[in-house]
Amino acid sequence: MEEKVKEIMSLIFNVDIEDITEDSSPDNLENWDSLRHMNFVNALEEEFDIELTDEQVTEMMNFKLVLAVLKEISPSSA
Amino acid sequence: MQELEKILNNVSLDKSASLISAIDKADQLKEGFDVTLKIGVLRNYTIEGIEPYLKYHLYKSGIKAEVHFGNYDMILQEVMDPESHFSKNKPDLIILSLKLESFLPDYETGNWNFHDVRGQLSELLIQVMNNVSGPLVINNFISPFYSMNGIIGDVAENSNQRRIQRLNSFIEDFAAKNSSQVMLANWERIIRKLGEELSIDYRFWYSSKSPFKKDFLNEYAKVVANIGKILAGKVKKCLVLDCDNTLWGGIIGEDGMDGIKLDNHEFPGKVYYDFQKSILLLAERGILITLCSKNNEEDVMDVLENHPHSLIKRKHLAAWRVNWKNKAENIISLSEDLNLGLDSFVFVDDSEIECDLVKKMVPEVDVLQVPKKIYLLPSLLMTHGQLDTLTETNEDRQRTILYQTDAKRKEASKSFATIDEYLYSLDLHAKIHLVEDQEVARVAQLTQKTNQFNLTTKRYTEQDIQQFGKLTDNAVLSLTVQDRFGSSGLTGVLIAKKENSTGYIDSLLLSCRVLGRKLEYAFVDYCLKYLEGQWSIAKWMAEYMPTKKNAQVANFWSEMGFQIVEQQEKKSIYFLDGSPQQIIDTTFIKINE
Repeated sequence: MEEKVKEIMSLIFNVDIEDITEDSSPDNLENWDSLRHMNFVNALEEEFDIELTDEQVTEMMNFKLVLAVLKEISPSSA
Repeated sequence: MQELEKILNNVSLDKSASLISAIDKADQLKEGFDVTLKIGVLRNYTIEGIEPYLKYHLYKSGIKAEVHFGNYDMILQEVMDPESHFSKNKPDLIILSLKLESFLPDYETGNWNFHDVRGQLSELLIQVMNNVSGPLVINNFISPFYSMNGIIGDVAENSNQRRIQRLNSFIEDFAAKNSSQVMLANWERIIRKLGEELSIDYRFWYSSKSPFKKDFLNEYAKVVANIGKILAGKVKKCLVLDCDNTLWGGIIGEDGMDGIKLDNHEFPGKVYYDFQKSILLLAERGILITLCSKNNEEDVMDVLENHPHSLIKRKHLAAWRVNWKNKAENIISLSEDLNLGLDSFVFVDDSEIECDLVKKMVPEVDVLQVPKKIYLLPSLLMTHGQLDTLTETNEDRQRTILYQTDAKRKEASKSFATIDEYLYSLDLHAKIHLVEDQEVARVAQLTQKTNQFNLTTKRYTEQDIQQFGKLTDNAVLSLTVQDRFGSSGLTGVLIAKKENSTGYIDSLLLSCRVLGRKLEYAFVDYCLKYLEGQWSIAKWMAEYMPTKKNAQVANFWSEMGFQIVEQQEKKSIYFLDGSPQQIIDTTFIKINE
């Protein structure tokens, strides 16, 4: 799952996969603004066939937190 | 394959990540686009999510889209302030995107006065329309998904449901009355197609004022992109239709007249009958109909003329290729015959092999395969989107006849030894005058559709043309042609501007239908002399702006006696001191007689 999330982040935020760390966030990725955050949410929902709640959407503000949210939803795929 | 095409082919619209990433890459490309279209979006809610979809559909047609969003809910400020970012950007196409809930905060309580709201809406629409200079795409509103007032309240005179329907009628009337500038993106239709579930994102609506899911954004973007494509001249003008299992079910050569399926009542004959109906509707709007079928010509013509349910008759056809040759070759030959670029053709065939062959050999042609689920055939052309124009003119309704007369002209030309002999025999009459009100739609349409004989390829709307007509230092002249075979209609436009004692030729174009008769020389010569008289002009400036399609006019200004001043990659500038000297003999053309 980690690899898939990195791949999506790399596509949506237009960064190299190698540059994504667990602290990657709107503070250090130039393209991670509120609009791309919505795209990111959509992409995760499409990929993992899930629906994120508004709380989860506001919570997942760095790579580590994204993974935490996803693991919470489907622990099996972690 | 071109870089742009490669990037876009990797997109799957179901995968947001693939789209976003592809658009990021395509944004950086400099090559592969023919034309730029600036889109300005005025809105009262968050609609930024539409950008990648808009770009995707326009990029696919080679149009470089630049999308600029006006400040959130600052619609009037954006359009009325000439210094606003929006105004300075001078968009070619404006989207006014209004969400009722933002326009009317009391919407849900039902506590609003219909007449007040309609008044405010009317005021806003008029202000925007009058303050922008390009075509404007507005939308209607989405009626509520549930009743706020229960079962009985839902049908009450003042229910939200019924009041929104009345507002929508008002909006549609507004678009119809101002159709030279205003177009409707029909949100109600999109919603009906997709449903609430796929359209509305309540989560992002409440958290970010961003109400639409990607499917809705995509459909909305398609509507706008189709309008953009028409404005940019990316229109389809001609249908090339296969016959067996396309215009009727079965194979005429094997099943015979009684065996083929074509019928107003029974399945599957009714499907083909309805498909033929849709083709005739397009023919009435000016799309040319041609056939390309592997058959014996007499068999096919027999069906058209004698089958009781064949709506399409020989008289509806601009040309046909019913033979056993390769279909790609046939389409190329049709394109030469009709003098239309291959990219203005749409080919329809049931055979995958034929479709693949045409795609491969003539990639410019748009290929539509008859759906395997045959009952989806009748909507195939109606949902295409590019078989459309923004205006409807007399020329559209007569186009097939005009092309048929051309075929007679071509036939006649064969009996003359020299081209001049033939031209003299035509008894050509040209009418040239300042554009009249009833000609504005056709003139705008010609600027939007003409690609080959077009010196600057500037696209104008009806509103633009009207505007030019009103200014005293602007002139729009039209050319209408007639000969012994009949009228060719309004087929030439020249737009000129005056600054001090210099005249600038902004646009010069002729429909491909009247080329080869030296009318262009007579037209320009007459226009320049006429304007010199009106404007007291001492010299003329003109431009040639090369595109992929207008190479044939690269030397036109030199042929007219202009001197080249400057040659750049994107345009060549020409100069003429004094009056044009008629270099080419056009005495066989009688002007305004």
